Amino acid sequence: MREAVRIGIDVGGTNTDGVLMSGTEVLTSTKAATSQDVRSGVVETVTRLLDDWKGPRDRIEAVMIGTTQFVNAFVERRGLEPVAIFRIALPRGKGVPPMAGWPSDLVQSLGAHIYMVRGGAFYTGREYIPLDEEGLRQAALDAHAKGVRSTVICATFAPMRPELEVRAAAIVSAAMPDTRITLSAEVGGLGLIDRENASIINASLALLSRRVVTSLTAAFRDADVRAPIYLSQNDGTLITTEIAERFPILTCSAGPTNSIRGAAFLTNIEDAIVADIGGTTTDIGFLSKGFPRETTAPNHIGGVRTNLRMPDVLSVGLGGGSILRHIGAGEALTIGPDSVGFRLREQAWVFGGNTLTTTDIAVRAGQAKIGDPSRVAHLPDSLVATALDRIHHRIEEAIDQVKTSARAMPLILVGGGHILVSRQLRGASEVLRPRYAEVANAVGAAIALVSGRVERMYDLAASGRAGALEAAKNEAIAAAVQAGAQPGAVEIIDVSEMPMTHMKSGSVQIRVRAAGPLAALASTANRVPGAGISR
Amino acid sequence: MISIKTPTDIKDLARGAVLLGTGGGGDPYIGELFLQAQLDKGRTPNIVPVDSIADDALVITIAGVGSPPVMLEYLVSDDTLLEILARMETLLGRKVDALISAEIGGINSMFPLALSAMTGLPVLDGDGVGRAVPRTEMCTFSIYGCLATPAVVLDELGNSVVFETIDDLTAEAVLRSITAALGASLFGAFYPMSGAQAKATAVRNTVTQTQEIGRCIRTARDGSGDVFAQLLGYLNSRPGRCAHLLFDGKIVDVTHETRDGWHWGRVTIVPLTASKDVFTVDIQNEFTVARFNGRTVTVMPDLISILDRESAEPITAERLAYGQRVKVIGSSADPLLRTPKALAVMGPRNFGLDEDFIPIEQLV
Repeated sequence: MREAVRIGIDVGGTNTDGVLMSGTEVLTSTKAATSQDVRSGVVETVTRLLDDWKGPRDRIEAVMIGTTQFVNAFVERRGLEPVAIFRIALPRGKGVPPMAGWPSDLVQSLGAHIYMVRGGAFYTGREYIPLDEEGLRQAALDAHAKGVRSTVICATFAPMRPELEVRAAAIVSAAMPDTRITLSAEVGGLGLIDRENASIINASLALLSRRVVTSLTAAFRDADVRAPIYLSQNDGTLITTEIAERFPILTCSAGPTNSIRGAAFLTNIEDAIVADIGGTTTDIGFLSKGFPRETTAPNHIGGVRTNLRMPDVLSVGLGGGSILRHIGAGEALTIGPDSVGFRLREQAWVFGGNTLTTTDIAVRAGQAKIGDPSRVAHLPDSLVATALDRIHHRIEEAIDQVKTSARAMPLILVGGGHILVSRQLRGASEVLRPRYAEVANAVGAAIALVSGRVERMYDLAASGRAGALEAAKNEAIAAAVQAGAQPGAVEIIDVSEMPMTHMKSGSVQIRVRAAGPLAALASTANRVPGAGISR
Repeated sequence: MISIKTPTDIKDLARGAVLLGTGGGGDPYIGELFLQAQLDKGRTPNIVPVDSIADDALVITIAGVGSPPVMLEYLVSDDTLLEILARMETLLGRKVDALISAEIGGINSMFPLALSAMTGLPVLDGDGVGRAVPRTEMCTFSIYGCLATPAVVLDELGNSVVFETIDDLTAEAVLRSITAALGASLFGAFYPMSGAQAKATAVRNTVTQTQEIGRCIRTARDGSGDVFAQLLGYLNSRPGRCAHLLFDGKIVDVTHETRDGWHWGRVTIVPLTASKDVFTVDIQNEFTVARFNGRTVTVMPDLISILDRESAEPITAERLAYGQRVKVIGSSADPLLRTPKALAVMGPRNFGLDEDFIPIEQLV
């Protein structure tokens, strides 16, 4: 029987990495420079993979892509579209209007098309006032007349009552036939402003996401690959191109997640610290049951606060291109945070340049054989020893910060800068450098699962804690199946509870994530590799 | 007198309010955005010294009450605060002359300032506690003879309740059940008092101090010096007050539970060095007691604040998480909170702690 082959691609700021995998085996991998238009870089990567593999293209069953395109566009204010915001909250919330606290350049480029409408729900999900359908219709007609085509609907406590926004969407799309609507409950959790912000960012990327998805689809058609295309989202699970086109914001932090997930897969370890040592920074994440730990605090995208779940990654200014400086003589030495970045191959001493980098130290210490070692032979032993002490100490400190207990854990090193590490590190039970570590992010994309999640408040008086947890788990599993996971193969990967004060009885906010293999692949790949889930 | 005119001023105030919130008091975020919306309309709050108010003036507090995560959905409106003010004036049969914050720590530092910006009414540079506390009656207004009621509470839907109780313990109980019945988050006007009473009972200069704390952290961060040295320098420069760095370490455990409508928990911190010391901070909405190897080093009503050990950003209790590197600061409460009368209401035993209050000066 022919086994399914899948392509994993990670479009990073500098490189577009790719792998071709069959089951749990990496058949081939490649790295190409990311092109300005993304498409040609992806085509080049895919072409190289296929040329190297030489297998028949109809064996490719799926393509998985991780990209930071969308978030970069928002941060750089590129290709953003005007957005109409229908907030359904009145008479509540007038004092804190949509886009309050946003950078003014963003408010200008999105236009302040703000409409406040009557409606909304209590934390129990019961509506506190009927939705003003006519008011909403008038608002939508007005936005339509102004030529706005991308819209957000955000209602009070929508995560507790998503149906309210769905009903509003029917009214808006009747009045604005060609609009693209982002419903807040589909994007963010509790906290109206943060959820609304995430929705507005998403809506502003509507045109760009359509363009990018079309371009990616075309890229694979050009390469004669007809398999379905999936995109990685922030939690390392997959969404279809149709969903990615509607929810570009869900893909914004896929890079670090894929790298952590790929590291888990390549080592077959589910609980570990992962350090992705790049050119400028080392990104350290915590791998738990095969998935990255997520942040709980609000995060900022391009100066806008949101409550999107992101991988909890600690970034320290140390990488293979970090610049070394002496301040006076002897011990006074600084490393980074500035770096020669992607110019390493021109500027580092071993490559004929005249900037002393951490890579030069690694070569001089015999930890790596790259460039011309004779160019660094004169560096004094004491300098090399001091620099290595510093480098290892910095990584040890960062590892300790990411860990949740003093217990030593395996450390997985990925990324090109792993040559900086040569010693046993404090807090690490072992240091692993898997094969294909340099394309771990593309591997992470290729092995991704499909997930579902739920985040809302439950009334403990109604069903008790066990009943509430059970209900939340079932909802998350149903959401995963809805998103394309194979029924019966979905597992719970994360459960958290946050009790609420000032409520009548025990109310608790429960958050559950569930994930499973793609149903579309289940026929040929009977077990999705690196799932990180005990079955 | 301080002024609040720019987004930076608001950020400073909010940062200081989180530090004085001692873990609780609610994230000022929504209050910040609300106050900023006032500044955007060209209105600024009018902050005046407590002593500048006439003895026969009428002063009230304006506050949000209820569950902080619910307020993050319900938000707030200009109309609501204006309506509360109007109803309080009708109830009392006269114009309100000045506003004061009930609790400077946390989000309730913001609402009186926003209403002042809207109406031009002065806000007194003081509050009822100089920190955050979990219960209505734990404030200097109550302790020194003002009553929280008659009070007006309002939700944004138009429901309102006017109530009057014989003491503030009862006011707290009534307020809790009204809040639960009306959707878990409300706004209200409390503590109608005379100017003379405000002068006799308020903790002074706390709006100024809150903003100065935030500013001190910001400028120290932007400069080259040690942020904590500068922050402690500021806190210790306040006449008759002291502050100490209690601990420096990493959070290894946080527990949370809701019991009887309160957020209970404990955070455990260990040193970054190999030392076996253990530092704990108990949470009952706010941080109530800090213990070094089991020995109390700061206890209610003195203040315990947990801050990011690099940036000195204060952290609220619900944001504490495993692995965070933190420094813990203890500081003495205002003398008004340390009298026998005050300790009977907000001393350690009121938080279920089996110990008497000992000032931080004698513990550290």
